[in-house]
Amino acid sequence: MAGEGAPTWEDVARSHGRFLYTVAYRLTGNREDAEDLVQEVLLRVRRGLETYQPGSMEGWLSRIATNAFLDEVRRRRRRPVDLLPEEPDWVLPPTEGADEALAAAVLPDDVQAALLRLPDDFRAAVVLCDVVGLSYHEIGDALGIPVGTVRSRIHRGRAQLREVLTGA
Amino acid sequence: MSSHPGDLLSALLDGELTPAEEAGVRAHTSACEQCQRELRLIGEGRTLVRDLPAVDPPFGFYERMLRPRHRWARVGVAALVAGAAASVGLMAVATPREAPVSPHVAQLVDAHTASASTSGDPISEMTPAAAPVSFRP
Repeated sequence: MAGEGAPTWEDVARSHGRFLYTVAYRLTGNREDAEDLVQEVLLRVRRGLETYQPGSMEGWLSRIATNAFLDEVRRRRRRPVDLLPEEPDWVLPPTEGADEALAAAVLPDDVQAALLRLPDDFRAAVVLCDVVGLSYHEIGDALGIPVGTVRSRIHRGRAQLREVLTGA
Repeated sequence: MSSHPGDLLSALLDGELTPAEEAGVRAHTSACEQCQRELRLIGEGRTLVRDLPAVDPPFGFYERMLRPRHRWARVGVAALVAGAAASVGLMAVATPREAPVSPHVAQLVDAHTASASTSGDPISEMTPAAAPVSFRP
């Protein structure tokens, strides 16, 4: 049993709900899946709270969230669904003469849509680094991969994201 | 460092290099236009995601999170209600003068009450099993 003063899963839901929803939304790209993912995370939190060591709650939660997300991705891959997104029509055309300069107004929705274009593993690494702020070592621990792989996925994810946003 | 640093450029931006590694990457990049360009593009990709705002959950989110849907409840509740009604019916035939609440029914009622949610799904919003079941002819 969790000791006195340790948070209950309801405490976690109330005080970290917005954080969890943000991470879930950045990973999944839609509200319904984001809510399902947060539900799944809270289920795992309920089971895991006994073993939780006081430390970075957000780090612990994002680790659970990302693994739950990747578990679901793998589960869905086993079912025949149309996984290929349609080519979006919002990709900004390259501006002539400018050295692939980003157009002035890149909206968060554009960035989110570009994130969704990344392979799931790349997106997970980029979200853990740039949305949650984990170190490469923490990301490696969370995903069970070496630091070199973390670095590579982040780097390639950022390059692809940038490319998608300018059609470059 | 003579060869292009590649993903070490991301590590540079993220502060993940040792001082020696950082010195090597900076030395190469200062003399390499290709890597300067790549550093700029990668930096933009990084900044775009870092600048993303938090996402506010939709209306009703906290209520839904604090009342978890047990997947089994959607299937099980209908069976519990049917089972409870059947048990009470059998009791009526066996002992018409009494109206005992058999332990079996009580367990079913407790289980149903515990699992009933206000999530709005049609099964939970059915008449609860705890409502009196009339077995008079």
